[in-house]
Amino acid sequence: MAQPQASRETAASPAWEPRIIAFLCYWCSYTGADNAGIARLKYPANADIIRLNCSGRIDPQLVTAAFSRGADGVMVCGCHPGCCHYISGNFKTMVRMPLLQRVLEDLGIEKERFVHEWVSASEAEKFSKLVAQTVENVRALGPLNWPGMLHDRGVGHGQDRKPWGE
Amino acid sequence: MSEATPKLKVGMYWAASCGGCDISLLEIGPRLIDLIQVADVVFWPCAADFKYQHVADYPDGHIDVCFYNGSIRTSEQEELARLLRKKAKCLVAYGSCAGDGGIPALANLKDTKGIFDASYHNNPSIDNPDGVEPQHIVETEFGQLEIPVFYDQVIRLKDVVQVDYEIPGCPPQADQVWKVIGLVASGAVPLRNAALRVGCDDKSICDECHREKRNTRITAFHRPHEIIPDPDHCLLEQGVVCLGPATRSGCGGLCTKAGLPCRGCYGPAGKVVDMGTAMISAIGSLIDTEDEEVARKLVAQIADPTGTFYRFSLGSSHLKARK
Amino acid sequence: MSEANEVKIGVFICHCGGNISDVVDVKSVAERVGKLPDVVISTTHMFMCSDPGQGLIEDKIKDLGLNRLIVAACSPTLHLPTFRRAAQRAGLNQFLVEHINIREHVSWVVEDKVAATDKATRLVTAAVGRVRYLEPLEMRSIDIHQKAMVIGGGVAGLIAARDLAARGMRVVLAEKRMFLGGRMAQLDTLYPTGERAWDLLGPLIQDVVNHPEITIHTGATLVEASGVVGDFRLKLRVRPRGVAPGVDNIADAVAACPVEADYAFNYGLNKRKAIYAPYRDAMWPREACIVWDDCTKCGDCVKAVSGQGIDLNPPAQEIEVQAGVVVLATGYHPYEPKAGEYGWGQPGVVTLQQLNRMMNPEGPTGGRVEVNGKPVKRLAFIHCVGACEREGVHAQGEHGKVNDYCARTCCTATMHAALELQQRDPELQTASFHQHIRTYGRGHEDYYDRASAAGMLFLRHPGDEPPTVVSAGADGLLVRSRDLLTDGVEVEYPADMVVLSTGVVPRDHGDLRELFKCTIGADNFLSEVHPKLRPVEIAVSGIMVAGACQAPMDITEASAAASAAASKAAAMISQGAVLMDPFIAQVNESLCSDCQTCLTVCPYDAIHRIEADGVARVDEALCTGCGTCHAACPSAAIQQYGFTDDQVMAEVQMLLDGKLADLTA
Repeated sequence: MAQPQASRETAASPAWEPRIIAFLCYWCSYTGADNAGIARLKYPANADIIRLNCSGRIDPQLVTAAFSRGADGVMVCGCHPGCCHYISGNFKTMVRMPLLQRVLEDLGIEKERFVHEWVSASEAEKFSKLVAQTVENVRALGPLNWPGMLHDRGVGHGQDRKPWGE
Repeated sequence: MSEATPKLKVGMYWAASCGGCDISLLEIGPRLIDLIQVADVVFWPCAADFKYQHVADYPDGHIDVCFYNGSIRTSEQEELARLLRKKAKCLVAYGSCAGDGGIPALANLKDTKGIFDASYHNNPSIDNPDGVEPQHIVETEFGQLEIPVFYDQVIRLKDVVQVDYEIPGCPPQADQVWKVIGLVASGAVPLRNAALRVGCDDKSICDECHREKRNTRITAFHRPHEIIPDPDHCLLEQGVVCLGPATRSGCGGLCTKAGLPCRGCYGPAGKVVDMGTAMISAIGSLIDTEDEEVARKLVAQIADPTGTFYRFSLGSSHLKARK
Repeated sequence: MSEANEVKIGVFICHCGGNISDVVDVKSVAERVGKLPDVVISTTHMFMCSDPGQGLIEDKIKDLGLNRLIVAACSPTLHLPTFRRAAQRAGLNQFLVEHINIREHVSWVVEDKVAATDKATRLVTAAVGRVRYLEPLEMRSIDIHQKAMVIGGGVAGLIAARDLAARGMRVVLAEKRMFLGGRMAQLDTLYPTGERAWDLLGPLIQDVVNHPEITIHTGATLVEASGVVGDFRLKLRVRPRGVAPGVDNIADAVAACPVEADYAFNYGLNKRKAIYAPYRDAMWPREACIVWDDCTKCGDCVKAVSGQGIDLNPPAQEIEVQAGVVVLATGYHPYEPKAGEYGWGQPGVVTLQQLNRMMNPEGPTGGRVEVNGKPVKRLAFIHCVGACEREGVHAQGEHGKVNDYCARTCCTATMHAALELQQRDPELQTASFHQHIRTYGRGHEDYYDRASAAGMLFLRHPGDEPPTVVSAGADGLLVRSRDLLTDGVEVEYPADMVVLSTGVVPRDHGDLRELFKCTIGADNFLSEVHPKLRPVEIAVSGIMVAGACQAPMDITEASAAASAAASKAAAMISQGAVLMDPFIAQVNESLCSDCQTCLTVCPYDAIHRIEADGVARVDEALCTGCGTCHAACPSAAIQQYGFTDDQVMAEVQMLLDGKLADLTA
């Protein structure tokens, strides 16, 4: 299995930049991000946006997959409860994310790395500040580097290890 | 059986295991007699006195089918995995531990230091005034003593070698095991494969479970001993955390039939990789509220979501361990 | 890999005339992405959405046999359809196209050029991973049933029905009450023209009633609604009138009836019998009707007409209607003051609505405005009753909130009523107790000016200190208030009558929410998709709103809204079919374990359990593509087209390490 390149730097390395994946719902949060652009608000480049139709589509496995493959932080944004474009999709997000949060904390992922916020289409400034704050919080925590951590613990490699007796 | 048809050479190894899988092979009961008509056991440390050297001396590919149960926690277990991979035509991850990490993988929620601390030092039943801990290498008056390296993480068989088949279960059901043995013995399945799950189905336990769904909402969570559930009604709908919807079927829904919630020992269903998040999705979907506070209070009633949802499958999950 | 399975990706990056390329080094992005596997061409253009830009895309698709298209440019909300159409013209399925946002999300928000270029590269790289898992899809086409359903027979519903029929549409109009006309029927003269309500309403009703393409049901309530735009299945329950047309001596029957009940039409100012006839020719239907909630079935009315034409036990009727579009024009209620609020309950304290009924010569008092038989000489109006309320100052309503919104029409209506009364009796003294005057519309301020010129007193109180009304015994009422216009002096105004200018409250939309999955705003009115760009549509495709059910508005505004709704509805119907995007969910029945987790999550009730097969199945016409069921399924048996696990995981993977590793490891 190929070794991941991305988050292999340590906090001490000046080259390291937090890598954040942001799952946004198309109708509110994505439009909020668009409006931040239209207003030319400046915020850090570290959050890469993945567009989904509704925050209800945000399966918790997308979050764990992102962390396990090297994300230092994950953001989940949707319409405010009661304002979901698809009426009630975000009510399900609203229940899933707190439960996921507990599991992530049990696994040692600091709560500042997983951000779940409601962002409406008109909240451009909120979005830009949210990204900026998240990037700074994650920067202070350092790289998560989950693939590196698993690699160091012997998951998935060990070609150097020989069969018994050799 | 004529001499012309050689007997199938079968092996079974136990790694970080409770021994249940070895016993489960005996669960095929009287069919054991049929088994030994067609098969020779050439390696089974639990049942007979085989040495590793015996296996090392076999030619490569000598063992037709080797069952490997238990997960991998020490260098010995990994070295045997590699040895058996060399010496077996077909390597089968037998049981949840080998396939998904099983219960031993829950140790990944602690680090080595924490585990050793609880096992050898800070424990009410341990008296260890000198703070002795096992060491990989120890100098004694008789020479150097070497014991296997204790790994920082529990891993699965397929994390170290190529696996041909996986039979899930804790332990696998006897009927399913017998079916697999039959498939292999008759040549109906190729010996080499890509960790194909057998002895199970693709759907989830809800497909096999006899209980009825009534589409009621979950209004509170209960541990199994806290309520007397309606025997015909879905346990999860009654607020008992049952992993049935997220668990692969094939066991016949035994636990729910006996009044206990499914613990998830058959691992994730279908193409799901991370079983815990599948369960979070399911529970999140079955709680019907428009109030964030109500949602939080309800999920707070689940005592240990990580340990419960990943009970048998932490080794196969995305994150696999605590940082 | 065979020719047929080969993925050939074309990447086109837009400069956007410098909007992107001034910050993002687009050529560098193109070069880096060009090195990824299966990327056959990776190039840039100054304006990708321009004709030459689209032409470039079309040419390359044809010349290079591209089977995946990635455009990195502005936000997809602007041009995704543009590039989809370009792909279609070149023979490529439009859903094998990805539009990546590197303007609003990158060049306009990132200052450092290197960071911006890296980010743009990452986002396009993610798309390269995603597109390989895209499949060709087709838009869903749903035939539109050629009929419109209008719910509500007030001015908004009538205008919508009339306009729809004028365009050749067939219309079914359902009105809950026994007569058409709604709230407008209760008015006398209208601002700003001074015309009489029935002079306008009468002909409007006749136009609607006489139109051959309009079918009207009164006493009709919507009890069931299912289906989707193009094919709504509706069921009306019709309360029978109990009185046949053409009964000669119906007045005798009314006189014979022993039951009396408050007459809601006159806001309880007088009573009516359990059987009553229309009081003017213009009302429709012309027949009398029986109010079943009040009728004791004593049979006196039947005796009075010798048993001809009155049936005390008529069967209720259920009517099924199939419609392509629905227009909701269900109106509003005036606010009902709470007991004791501004003296409500005391003699002499009335609402503006009641005053309007009293002023009407055809009303319960024959046009006389009196208290205890004496004409009113001093009249105080209190504005903002049940409107512009504040938390902590006003009591909450049943819904646990105060009505903090402005009801808009009441200030002008107040000035209008005051002016008219002043004109009838120049000696009348009037006073306006307000926190603000909002005579906002065309010609409305005129009423304020003229009322003031006619001697009306204006007293402005602070918003958090509303006036109080107390009884002055035999002398009538006293209004106490602080007047900011005279330096905050405490004022006591003796009045014969106090008129509460009440706001409007939405009707309880619980039934519509249930039936049509409408979104209700925080103020409990129906929510439109967008107040400026799509003001008469709600989030459910095919359902329009018209009038005061959406927000407080007057007849002018309701008429405009009704015409707009009719126009939208007609446009939709005349297309014959509606195209919907294909991003629906689908259940893989070989994996579905009948766990039924998905059944409860769909906001549109689009997933059902198929009893015979023991699996869930998505109704393609109802599914709107939110993907909530996909995320809910614990066996990954449901996949949403366009957002499958493979597609989304590929994006995640490529963003983080630029390589598609084994997604199932």
